[in-house]
Amino acid sequence: MTATSPATPTTPAAPTTGTLPQDPPASRGARLHRWDVRWGPYALIAPFFLFFAVFTLLPLLYTGWASLHRIELTAPERAEWAGLHHYARLLRNPLFWNALRNTLVIGVLSTVPQLLTALALAHLLHSRLRAATFWRVALLTPYATSVAAATLVFSLLYGRDHGLVNWVLGALGAGPVDWQNGTWSARLAVSSIVVWRWTGYNALLYLAAMQAVPDELYESAELDGASRTRQFLHVTVPSLRPTILFTVVVSTIGALQLFGEPLLFGGAGGQKGGASHQFQTLGLFLYEQGWFTYHLGRACAVAWTMFLLLLLIATGHGLARRLLRKDG
Amino acid sequence: MAAGVPRRRRTAVLLAVAVLLLAGPVGCAGAGREKGRTTTVTVGTFGVFGYRQAGLYAEYERLHPGVRIREEVVERNDTYYPQLLTRLAAGRGLADVQALEVGNVHELAAERGEKFEDLSRAPGVRRSDWLPWKWAQATTPDGRTIGLGTDIGPLAVCYRKDLFRRAGLPTGREEVGRLWAGDWRAYLAAGRAYRRHAPAGTVFTDSAAGLYNAAVHAHAERYYDRAGHPLLTNGPAVRSSWDLAVRAARDGLTARLRQFEKNWDQAFANGRFATVACPPWMLGYMQEKSGPAGRGRWDVAAAPRPASWGGSFLAVPKAARHRKEAVDLAVWLTAPAQQARLFERQGSFPSTPASYAMPQLARARNPYFGDAPIGPLFAAAARGAPTLVFGPREQQIGAAFTDVGIPQVEQQGRSPRAAWAAARREIENAVDE
Amino acid sequence: MTTRARGHSSAGPLTYAALALVTAVSLFPLLWTAVAASHDSARLARTPPPLWFGGHLPHNLRVAWTDAGLGLALANTVLVAGTVALGTVLCCTVAGFAFARLRFRGSRPLLLLTVGTMMVPPQLGVVPLFLLMARLGWAGELRAVVLPALVSAFGVFFMRQYLSGALPAELVEAARVDGAHTGRVVWHVVLPAARPAMVVLGMLSFVQSWNDFFWPVVALTQENPTVQVALTGLGRGYVPDQAVVMAGALLGTLPLLLAFALLGRRITGGVMQGALKG
Repeated sequence: MTATSPATPTTPAAPTTGTLPQDPPASRGARLHRWDVRWGPYALIAPFFLFFAVFTLLPLLYTGWASLHRIELTAPERAEWAGLHHYARLLRNPLFWNALRNTLVIGVLSTVPQLLTALALAHLLHSRLRAATFWRVALLTPYATSVAAATLVFSLLYGRDHGLVNWVLGALGAGPVDWQNGTWSARLAVSSIVVWRWTGYNALLYLAAMQAVPDELYESAELDGASRTRQFLHVTVPSLRPTILFTVVVSTIGALQLFGEPLLFGGAGGQKGGASHQFQTLGLFLYEQGWFTYHLGRACAVAWTMFLLLLLIATGHGLARRLLRKDG
Repeated sequence: MAAGVPRRRRTAVLLAVAVLLLAGPVGCAGAGREKGRTTTVTVGTFGVFGYRQAGLYAEYERLHPGVRIREEVVERNDTYYPQLLTRLAAGRGLADVQALEVGNVHELAAERGEKFEDLSRAPGVRRSDWLPWKWAQATTPDGRTIGLGTDIGPLAVCYRKDLFRRAGLPTGREEVGRLWAGDWRAYLAAGRAYRRHAPAGTVFTDSAAGLYNAAVHAHAERYYDRAGHPLLTNGPAVRSSWDLAVRAARDGLTARLRQFEKNWDQAFANGRFATVACPPWMLGYMQEKSGPAGRGRWDVAAAPRPASWGGSFLAVPKAARHRKEAVDLAVWLTAPAQQARLFERQGSFPSTPASYAMPQLARARNPYFGDAPIGPLFAAAARGAPTLVFGPREQQIGAAFTDVGIPQVEQQGRSPRAAWAAARREIENAVDE
Repeated sequence: MTTRARGHSSAGPLTYAALALVTAVSLFPLLWTAVAASHDSARLARTPPPLWFGGHLPHNLRVAWTDAGLGLALANTVLVAGTVALGTVLCCTVAGFAFARLRFRGSRPLLLLTVGTMMVPPQLGVVPLFLLMARLGWAGELRAVVLPALVSAFGVFFMRQYLSGALPAELVEAARVDGAHTGRVVWHVVLPAARPAMVVLGMLSFVQSWNDFFWPVVALTQENPTVQVALTGLGRGYVPDQAVVMAGALLGTLPLLLAFALLGRRITGGVMQGALKG
């Protein structure tokens, strides 16, 4: 975790201590000082936790409460106790299972190629390159493109009747594909937008981690006569494991929350994710339940289910423990 | 240290900027504060209603010195309506006049009726000015009227004369109307005749879902019966319209398009289909999408059965800041004379029959559509349209057919049986709490 | 920061070819956005699709700028993303410092709570936030999207990790012994030491806020939109002229692209640095 440690600016801060004005030493001052040591830290975390409490924690709890009530958008001030009704109803709702399945399928379709390509790209970038900055910036530009802009362009490219992709396919002798209406074609198209936007970003993350691998590891591998491919597999990848884990977790979280791409890819009725919901993700399902069929209580139950799923995945990854073990 | 000072100063500047920026959005509280005796009346709409474009606001401001009108437009009703609902519940953030879509108005009258002014008692309102069915849509069972009708969507069929000629079908609008008068099944028969000699690359109509909408709106009872009981998928109107749409799709009479999507626009530009069921508000859209090439090729004929698709209302929430001024404005904007002017400028068809005799309508011809006499033509459909029975979740139920069931057959090649089951499931999900 | 090739050979033609291919794929959709935005929608409705620029770009940009309100949207987005970035950086730096270098009761559980909610999906709070904003009368206003975005659990964690490495405990102790109170320590010791990480976090927050989608789409309307909301309105609008939609997408992306082109090295460096600390 210290690839840039020589560059980290611990030094410029040091001299400033000399310029600190002195507090008048007094017993009152000492009391103040004790008080400050005790309560100062809380003052520092207060702004964050204030916002955190109002805009994350309370909504989280309220969502949990609301998921146990019957609340309709037509009269959101009325809440009627419903117990676990919404959850039971979800488990029986084929549309929920469909959304869950789509989320997982699109998640795999977008995460796996994305991370593998990123790894390979990082490997390429890690050699001595002319115009290294140009390549990095170019690969990062999709990251600068918003979900909305990217999806609007891609859905034009994937157009059924006059899209560029179908035109190219036609030139290659393949029939036109109705990207939006096909089940797998739609999922592939949505995934491709995610892959396009995030591959370069992840490649840079991997590159940074690669640069942090100590030279000696490569030197000894070279002494053992390992080829570049073997070096990659046996030195680079193992050293990258924490970063890979990190990107897997982040991409998984992103995949589970996928929303904008399928919504805009679906056009005017986008919240349905296609006529047979073939690319409706959990995020879209939630949006549809809450804002199109007005079942706010049920939407909250979907939200909590998503949260529980994430907790499950995170526990599987042992993420929190791993991250916290990095204590200096 | 030399570098330390500017750095610290820069941090201080950053902090100051941050504080300013944070304070900025919080500081500038809601607009619309009145100065002197000027009252600013706000009008919340979805999409373009055209009042400003037709100069109606300007005229009202001239007639009522001291009143200013500000319009707040949200593009789509499906973002507008949820926001309206939460604002009604909170009693805050509402515009003085709120537009309501026909698909929502029954729900609002039934579930939130107490939040709106009863406009049937407003000064200057004559119930007899409106088409009876339009008035009824916004009226609660106990006789309160929460919205005054603005436009309606009487249906006609727009058709391409050039394509009809090449397919050996009649081209005069009277003859074409007679071709399918009285029954949408005759329209399909015409479609099959068209298909036999169809010019290359064209089909009879655009979309099965559009056909479904046109057919089902000719029936009073669709998803609910007059007593208010849900029919959902069991009503005869739904079944027959579904059969019609599915039949058209499976016979290859449709271009497998979804209305208001880019493929549809592109098909207009390329002249890919010969007919489309069209309310008056669609004509401007068609003209824009078909471009100059379509001039003189399109014409308008009567639909097989009179029906109205779409339309809106103006309502005044009780929590409005300027209730009295808002009521006056809503009454004025929906009066026959103003509706006639809006039609002339914007193509929104009046819901007040008194407008139909006014010159803006009686003499209205559309040069792009072969000088079709659109005023009398749509007025006939408006007079004949049934009093539609509405119920809760109207829009969601309709979408289960037009966005799920029918496209599954038409565009995804599923069996009608499976698609019908999918539409049912969709409705259960929407209606069941 | 020149990359030393650690025992790695310099790149061969194959490497360049592969990179060129991926770069082409990365840049093509953006380039084609500009191409599509330079035609009229009738041209976009014909096959084959255009592959080179036409003459309608100024017209389409003008329509997108005024009719679709991209001008207002851009100004709003700069305001929102700037406020969010600055607010996040400030909140997270001081909190991160407290977690990294100060001892206080409950620091461990509080940090765990923070890290734990890093994975709370934004969807989770949408319903209550929506109702809350309606109640406060903030629905549709920019502060409705600014305030919730100021909380960044990731930011706190990021700053904590950074300061754990970059800010020696002795330095803080020394300042303490000199009698400096917490505020002074933050001002004179922490902020200077945290500056590089603050820049990185600010940049990441800015980009994220610029591209933030779910909550703004729910909370705002096209009446007073951010870029993402305006583009969503364009894409799902009832009169979508594809060429204008593309012009809007171009306008909404251009500012960030320009920033990337001008500050390329700093930004890639920042992303990579963020990687190591995250």
